[in-house]
Amino acid sequence: MSLNFKVGLIGLLDMLKFANLAKDREKIIAAAPAEEIKADYPVNNFAKAMHPDFQQFVIDGIIDHKAAGAKTFVLKRADGKPASYFRAGQYISLKLPIGDSFVTRPYSISSSPKWALDGKVCVTVRANPGGFAADWMLDNFKAGDEVKGSEGLGSFYYQKYRDADHVIALAGGSGITPFLSMAYAIRDGIEDFKLTILFGSRTEESILFRKELDDIAAQTDKVKVVHVLSDESKDGFENGFITADLIKKYAGDEPYSVFICGPEAMYRFVDKEVEKLGLDKKFVRQEFLGATKTVWEKPGYPQDKKDKVFKLTVKQGPDEYVCDCSANEPILVAIERAGIKAPSKCRSGDCGWCRSRVTSGEVFIPEETDGRRWADKQCGEIHPCTSFALSDITIIVPGEYY
Amino acid sequence: MAAKYDVVVVGAGNAGLSAAVKCVVEGKKTLLIDQHNLPGGCASSFRRGRFEFDPSVHEICDFGPDDNKGHVRLLMERNGVNVDWITVPECYRCISTYSDGTPMDVTMPCGREEYIAAMEKYVPGSRESMEKFFDLLLEIRAAKVYMNDGTPNDAKYMQKHFPNTLRSCGYDALKVMKALKIPQKAIDIIGVYWPYLGVPLDTINFFHFGNMIDMYVIRQAVIPHHTSHEISMTFMNRFYELGGEAWFNCRAEEFLFDGDRLCGVRTSLGDVECEQVLANINPDIIDARMIPKELVPERDKKLSAARGKKFSTKFCMIYMALNRSVEEMGFKDYCVFFAETADSRKEYEYMKSIDNDYNILISYNNLIPDFSPEGTCVISFTKLFSESDDWAKLTPEEYYKVKDKMIAKCIDDVKKNLGIDVTPYIEEVEVATPMTFARYLGTPDGTPYGFEVNEWDGIIARMMNIEADFTIKGLRHIGAGSFMADGYSSTWINGDLTAALACREMKEGGNK
Repeated sequence: MSLNFKVGLIGLLDMLKFANLAKDREKIIAAAPAEEIKADYPVNNFAKAMHPDFQQFVIDGIIDHKAAGAKTFVLKRADGKPASYFRAGQYISLKLPIGDSFVTRPYSISSSPKWALDGKVCVTVRANPGGFAADWMLDNFKAGDEVKGSEGLGSFYYQKYRDADHVIALAGGSGITPFLSMAYAIRDGIEDFKLTILFGSRTEESILFRKELDDIAAQTDKVKVVHVLSDESKDGFENGFITADLIKKYAGDEPYSVFICGPEAMYRFVDKEVEKLGLDKKFVRQEFLGATKTVWEKPGYPQDKKDKVFKLTVKQGPDEYVCDCSANEPILVAIERAGIKAPSKCRSGDCGWCRSRVTSGEVFIPEETDGRRWADKQCGEIHPCTSFALSDITIIVPGEYY
Repeated sequence: MAAKYDVVVVGAGNAGLSAAVKCVVEGKKTLLIDQHNLPGGCASSFRRGRFEFDPSVHEICDFGPDDNKGHVRLLMERNGVNVDWITVPECYRCISTYSDGTPMDVTMPCGREEYIAAMEKYVPGSRESMEKFFDLLLEIRAAKVYMNDGTPNDAKYMQKHFPNTLRSCGYDALKVMKALKIPQKAIDIIGVYWPYLGVPLDTINFFHFGNMIDMYVIRQAVIPHHTSHEISMTFMNRFYELGGEAWFNCRAEEFLFDGDRLCGVRTSLGDVECEQVLANINPDIIDARMIPKELVPERDKKLSAARGKKFSTKFCMIYMALNRSVEEMGFKDYCVFFAETADSRKEYEYMKSIDNDYNILISYNNLIPDFSPEGTCVISFTKLFSESDDWAKLTPEEYYKVKDKMIAKCIDDVKKNLGIDVTPYIEEVEVATPMTFARYLGTPDGTPYGFEVNEWDGIIARMMNIEADFTIKGLRHIGAGSFMADGYSSTWINGDLTAALACREMKEGGNK
């Protein structure tokens, strides 16, 4: 085939030029200096500072909220560097060596992102019945103790191109913490939106962060706090529960987004109220629930499996472990009990950090906490944090870096 | 005692996956490790709310129809990787400005005849030169097959069978297209794809560029039905099926040597012995951090210095889920390029700024109606940056503001160019910056593209002497930092080919 064209002046030289491409490359390489190769890239350094394998903190202070049965732990970076910057509303995953186990717990950050620049983040831990890790922290943590944590995680933050200009926050108990961080961020000029917090507490005395919230509301007219007391009727407070009517009362006529964070009992009530508002999905955002504590009550659960104990074989890298696995608890809990350092962050089926491959056995995954990718559902990949064993199981878990 | 394997593949991105599958197909005991907790690298997915997003795919080229199967399709079929593919019917729509300053708005179909006919409509009188152009691409395709077969190239054979290839492929794409007398406006239209190679038409080797056009225009492009994670998991399933083992969240910390012979990998989950390593890691990172200083080959130092850390394109991706269907929104095309100018050199210069206006819109539901829940659709935007250190200069506080700025630019781009306002419908939005890519890929400055394929270091020059760059016995580089540079198709093929070289060496008793 002749296409009758030449690129250079003399066609024959074109051919030579092609044939010499490799030789010319070798010449250029040979002529270069043999310098030591460095691999230090600013963009990667930035990414590492934002998303380290873990942050090593020291407990810098403890604030006891006695009446609320909670404590705030002020965590300071042990290396003196700024803490990984985060978006107000995000959580960190604490890495806790309890007894022979490595467990993680997600806690919303309750401090301003501004504090992170000084190396500090705060988490607020409330006692809860049967709350194994929470009780351990409340009983054991003292100033000067070391604790490891992740960077800020999750999508529970204000995003101006997604959310309405006005956010109605529905908070219950220690569910106030992400909203406190948002309120600080608004006050500190980091975020810019209107935040109305409907904060449900049992009694006036048990209100968490009352002074902090009042102070912020006094400093910026963008933040408003409405206390809703369930167990008391008092002047100057809303009484009862957070209802659709109450939300409408404070929402006004402008479009609004509803953000929800609180205990499971609150979700059960509030979700129905929010539904009555007829909002588009995009205007309702809910912080994670955690795994169900009563999986046998979920639709489709095979009742004969309840209370059973199965054999769990865990493969991680070259290692293999065998342990018991209760049908009533997420598989992740069994892995942690066995003293295996397995990855997990949100513990609600969403973030996928614990993603593992089941090579034999059957699992039950409640639909509302099944945050898996489409292909993973087809391939036997599960999120052990919200998956429950229905038989003996063999699972390959990833490594963990902390 | 350390675990023992024939081959360890480090990095389960596209090249790592195809390499790992090739090794187990060849019967090698293979370990695949990745520092992240899932396979795929860029070929992955992530979820937000009720949506699943593809982080990177636009169109996968070199697939081909039943009667003209491309290399990617042949590779998948040969290795038993069966993905639910969707064919892309159109190359692209491009809204830009021709080199002469006049406005451009063209929609180019796939297929030689269709493409030439559309070109004739936009640029009357271009037909004859376009016929020549595609004839030349056909010959280049054959030359590539010959050159890629793993045997030394015979100069006489090539002169006889590929004379036009030899005549054109020592030059850059712009020179050759001008020599073929393609009108400038037509060059502008053909050139729309240039950013997929990272360097402008006056720099990219014609063989490389022409081959890409051939793979996109003549060979059908495809996309996976359920995001790129579906492809990566299909590779993984095949790998497991054939006895492969994979460790995720596992970092390769250093390579272990017995004298100057590579004999294993130190990983965050323990030491591993092996005969061969296929490393889907940028070669500079290996030399700087993963092997003893005294074992870094002189040639590696010189090659690295010659390349001068000139890494290719950085990306910022903006992902949006909208709570209206694609019909309600009014998106008509799967893929639309918005460029300030069709002059690739000028655009490359613009891309040095974080504020450049280049953007590529992908509207998934146009091709895949069930890509997202009924009554919704998913779109993504791709913004590109060349040689830019603007990103590295940001402070953490500025970082989220810049992400918001990127979203605002995308909203403006679709408003300005397509008259569509997405603002009221955004249910989910996420931004992946070069930092995000750096976080998940670990590549230099987050580029998914490896080193720039410049005048002297193009893929053709690299491919003519593949083994020359594998300076350490038992270690071969795969992926975007290797000889075929960036792209889903290129990295799959590169991984497969390189794994074949490693397996052959083991058969011949090499590295003993």
